[in-house]
Amino acid sequence: MSSITEGSLQRTIAFLAALGIGVAAYIAIAAANGDAPVCLAGSNGCETVARSSWSHVAGVNIAVFGIVAYTLLLATAFFTNDLARFGGFVLALGGFGYSVFLTYVELFKIEATCQWCLASALLMTILFALCAARLIAFAGSDAAIPERA
Amino acid sequence: MSAAERRSRLLRLAAGAAFLALVAVLVLIVVSATGNGDGGDTELEGVPEVKELLTGIPQHGMLLGDPQAPVELIEFGDLQCPICAGYSKEILPPIMETRVRDGEVKLAFRNLTILGAESVVAGAAALAAGAQGHGWSFVEIFYRNQAEEESGYAADEAFLKAIARAAGVHNLTKWQADRRQMTQKVEETTEEAHGLGFSGTPSFAIQGPQTNEVQPLGSPGSTDSLESAIDAAG
Repeated sequence: MSSITEGSLQRTIAFLAALGIGVAAYIAIAAANGDAPVCLAGSNGCETVARSSWSHVAGVNIAVFGIVAYTLLLATAFFTNDLARFGGFVLALGGFGYSVFLTYVELFKIEATCQWCLASALLMTILFALCAARLIAFAGSDAAIPERA
Repeated sequence: MSAAERRSRLLRLAAGAAFLALVAVLVLIVVSATGNGDGGDTELEGVPEVKELLTGIPQHGMLLGDPQAPVELIEFGDLQCPICAGYSKEILPPIMETRVRDGEVKLAFRNLTILGAESVVAGAAALAAGAQGHGWSFVEIFYRNQAEEESGYAADEAFLKAIARAAGVHNLTKWQADRRQMTQKVEETTEEAHGLGFSGTPSFAIQGPQTNEVQPLGSPGSTDSLESAIDAAG
């Protein structure tokens, strides 16, 4: 991984995480106002998905969990150590896995798709790939921890 | 611990986490596939009763009965309204079983939403079911499955889809697509009801050969009162 620096990966992760916060915040704010996100091209998929019983977990809109996950991912982009690399990987892995599940639910259970949810799933997929690449390429590149006597 | 050892350990941990995530996603999908959420696992009450009541009576849009029937009895209702449910279960069935079934009266359902935003969502879903000829079945089944007003149930996708399925809506994709266009109609009939002086539900109006125009009845309170109004209008 000589041509890509960890710094460039961190900047890309930060940018995509910030975009993710925006997408998730839009969905959460629309839900809090009693509305649904506006789908493009007149589709009513966003409304259908937002009103489905899948849109909340324990009474909390899942977009709120998205905001938390993207914010933590953004935070990991500001640190250059193994904790940030591994933490970012685990967060993105969880987000990616949950996005896969939610996309399955949209397609096969609700039978409607929300473009904003798909956008978030795409962002999380790219973030997972970037965080995995960062971990594989740069794990252990910190100064070695001295062995205890 | 050397950097190489730490790297190796982190990558092993990452591989383990990835494996666990894969298993978790698969488990979630399997569990959701067996436990629906699309309405298939929503238990509904009164479906056989409604089918028995309405079988053999034609439905067109939100009209129950022969469209050529001389008298039209119009119910302005709110799907979340428990009094409307009472009318649906106690007062209207004798009229459906005789006058409507015989082609003397046609019953129309129009939304008069007074209880909140969920009534608009549910009302639009009923109209979309009506577009496929199952509007009254939707309304009747909905009334028999009411829960606490504005508690979330009336706009819940799984609940509405279960009602639509039970009502006989076959093309759920079209039903979903039609719902958005129906919201405006819900608002229009609510305005129409206000124009007739109605503010509570259910309110009834009637039109027939003996009435010059739509005649407001209010809430007659009994089958006999409605029968008298039908006789006067016909």
